[in-house]
Amino acid sequence: MTAPAPDTVGRSVGRLDGGAKVTGRYEYGVDASRPGMLWARLARSPHAHARILSVDTTAALAVPGVRVVLTGADTLGYLASRYVRDEPLLALDRVRYPGEPVAAVAADTQEAAEAACRLVRVEYEPLPVISSVEEALADDATVIHPDWASYWVSPIIRRPGGNVVSHASLRRGDTAALFESADHVFEDTFEVPMVHQASLEGRVAIAEVDDAGVVHVWSSHQYPFGLRQDISDILHIPLGKIRVTVTGVGGGFGGKLYAGAEPYCIILAQRTGRPVKLRYTREEEMIATSPRMGATVRLRTAVAADGTLLAREGWIDYDSGAYSESSPGVVSVGLLTLAGPYRWQALSIDTRAIYTNKAGCGSYRAPGAPQAVFAGESQLDRIARELGIDPLRLRLHNAVRDGDLGPTGQVLNNVSLVETLQAAADRIDWDSAGAGHLRGKGLSCTWWTTTGMPSSAYVRMDEDGTFVLITGATEIGTGAVTAGVAQICAGELGIDPADLKIVSADTGTTPYDFGAQGSRTLVQAGNAAIAAAEDLKSQMFDIAAAKLGCQAEELEMSDGEIRHTNDPELSLSVSDVARLGGTRGGLLGRGSYEQPPTPYDADSVQGAMIGAFNIPSFATHACEVSVDGATGEVTLDRYVVAQDVGRVVNPRYCEGQVTGGAVQGIGQAMFEEIIHRGGHVMNPNFTDYKLPTLSDVPHIETILVEVPSDSGPYGAKGVGEQAIIGPPAAIANAVRDATGHPIQRLPITAERVWQSLRGPGTAS
Amino acid sequence: MSHPLRLTVNDGEYLVIAAAGAYLLDVLRDDLGLQGTKEACAEGECGSCTVLIDGEPVDSCIYFAAQATGKRITTVEGLGRNGAHPVQRAFAALGAVQCGFCTPGFVVAAAALLQRSPNPGVDEIREALAGNLCRCTGYNNIVAAVLAAAGSQDGDA
Ligand code: FES
Ligand code: FES
Repeated sequence: MTAPAPDTVGRSVGRLDGGAKVTGRYEYGVDASRPGMLWARLARSPHAHARILSVDTTAALAVPGVRVVLTGADTLGYLASRYVRDEPLLALDRVRYPGEPVAAVAADTQEAAEAACRLVRVEYEPLPVISSVEEALADDATVIHPDWASYWVSPIIRRPGGNVVSHASLRRGDTAALFESADHVFEDTFEVPMVHQASLEGRVAIAEVDDAGVVHVWSSHQYPFGLRQDISDILHIPLGKIRVTVTGVGGGFGGKLYAGAEPYCIILAQRTGRPVKLRYTREEEMIATSPRMGATVRLRTAVAADGTLLAREGWIDYDSGAYSESSPGVVSVGLLTLAGPYRWQALSIDTRAIYTNKAGCGSYRAPGAPQAVFAGESQLDRIARELGIDPLRLRLHNAVRDGDLGPTGQVLNNVSLVETLQAAADRIDWDSAGAGHLRGKGLSCTWWTTTGMPSSAYVRMDEDGTFVLITGATEIGTGAVTAGVAQICAGELGIDPADLKIVSADTGTTPYDFGAQGSRTLVQAGNAAIAAAEDLKSQMFDIAAAKLGCQAEELEMSDGEIRHTNDPELSLSVSDVARLGGTRGGLLGRGSYEQPPTPYDADSVQGAMIGAFNIPSFATHACEVSVDGATGEVTLDRYVVAQDVGRVVNPRYCEGQVTGGAVQGIGQAMFEEIIHRGGHVMNPNFTDYKLPTLSDVPHIETILVEVPSDSGPYGAKGVGEQAIIGPPAAIANAVRDATGHPIQRLPITAERVWQSLRGPGTAS
Repeated sequence: MSHPLRLTVNDGEYLVIAAAGAYLLDVLRDDLGLQGTKEACAEGECGSCTVLIDGEPVDSCIYFAAQATGKRITTVEGLGRNGAHPVQRAFAALGAVQCGFCTPGFVVAAAALLQRSPNPGVDEIREALAGNLCRCTGYNNIVAAVLAAAGSQDGDA
């Protein structure tokens, strides 16, 4: 859809939910309530791995105000995790991570529910704890899911068994021959810990069940239609008896894409006949909700003397925790991102998700990518250094360009990597001579997808000519819906975006959308909105043409008027048409959009749920650091992101995605790590799990590069996730430039840098 | 044990029966229905629950309601009674709001900053707001909004 953009596009118009948010009137999940509502709370396992011998709820039920206490025996057959159904709603015979729910309580007050949880008596028999991927893969390792072979599995996923959740692989070209003949082979191993989305609003939901058994859920969620399907699958409720309404969402970042609190609310509501609300505390968020997988990344790269990349072999073992959640999908992203946006003659990559006794991992903004890219881009700098080639030139030399093939054989179009490299390097003054002692610069390059899948929209014209966009897309804060899609839709209707009304994200009232995931909303929901606006306009033009005595094709609409293209005198106001249209019961335009899947060489991969990047986009990060030689402390002096967004719809919110993603990535690079001991999270709060603040990060300098796509609205590409991928490698490379010592484990803490300064390495 | 507390919130007088040891945040949200103030950590680390006590920002999640008697409490709902406060307008206009969950805390803290320092520099803004976490924006636009609000403030606040 590369029709000329309306004049609303490319402007930093305000977002439609801005006023309510700055005044505190916006209603989030935590603020919602229903009359007669009970409070839920989950009793959780204190053990990382144990058999459950008995559960006694007598004392819990005796707490005044407690209405019901459910255990694993009440939830038989209720299994979660979307791709490998391995996660009981409430543990029945064993617990597999500390914090796993063993009982669900509903009570009149939060205090009563909490007191009851403390009184649920569970007798455990501890089992050996698998606290790392390495332990999980040992020959004599305890198998965390002895019944793994009996679980329902979605197609494509390859499961070798034992503690391996899933295994994806990529084979292209003759890696063995290239490694044999290459001038140089580099081999490195990198470690990345689990990190958390840490949206400021955690998971929270309310469920209510009516007399006919219809379930209504209100949830702070990113994907209401996926949640409805999850609920149906987990609780065996027909889809048509479930309605999901999304409340205000206080951040998601991938953490609210799957069923979480909702099924508990529903089973408790079914038992009590009352609405039930469940809100996770910050500690529950940190110990028991799906963070980003940790990973061990090993890679070997064959390189010619002139720096030409020839072949790469790579292995990523992702730590999935005790349940699969989204890991079977994420492993395939590792294939694409460990190859990176470079020309290869051959690739051989294996990525696996591994069960351990930690909370099950899920999706976090660009799932699977930062781990792989930290490794790949760090190793590129080692290669550059050892071959005496400038890291920028090495990247320019190997960067993919238009018409090249991606790692799985997809044909790459509208490629912008070189543009972003040059823009970022110029901005950071890459070639200006060494910044000085213990100062350094670093680069990293990334590529990422714009997820496809269906989006639908209606555009309704009310009796007074007011336009209402009805979209299944979800506004999770990015502005993709309340700024971007609104701007696109208003532009197509020829009105000021501020005059557009929006109804969104409610399976009861809005049409299907694949959710706020995979950087897709602006592009896919935007295309659906354009189609719906087109449909509505053609209906309006038919009505106006009959009235004006001309052809519908001769009409255009702007500023609330429908006019003849050649004779502006011949016109009707939208409200006039609305009155005419109103006699027919109002007007409704309908639009759907689903991009055809991107072709790739399907024979090159196995076990990969995602085989290609749809509308890929590219970015380069560049930064400058100084290191305190006495303490190892790293100061980020400058941070630059040049990212291709295809076409800027709203510069301010587009930049906001880039700066926000970059700062989360800086958090992963420098501060964030879920610290486990024996499966237990040692830092389940914001005091000990450090998020970046205004005193930790510089102003993020953004450069929006525009190399239009063929199918996004006016050429737009996905924006939201990509900027989180680049920071760990860019910062590690800058630190290495400053100190001469490599960093192969995240986060890059002062202690780690201090130790590296004293360890083996090359002088800078 | 519960106690009657007399609180002055956004210039209104309230009498609430609060449990001994009740935090101001819970009294504001649950007893007074002022849900604009948010909780994200409940331990004084994130600033989402920031309110003003006699004009000074405090984390209401670790501030006892009983401590607030006899003092002037201002919440996000009380900032913009004569049309939105310049800080609120700037946040909405300049992209300082994404999910918005941190926003009430930020605008309250920023309003207090501008009250004591009407024309702060970038470093002063960064320092004053370093106790407020935002997971969405990356902070660029928050700093820009506070600067813009300072510039637009004269006679407006
Ligand atoms: S909720 Fe009070 S500081 Fe975080
Ligand atoms: S806007 Fe979401 S946390 Fe700040």
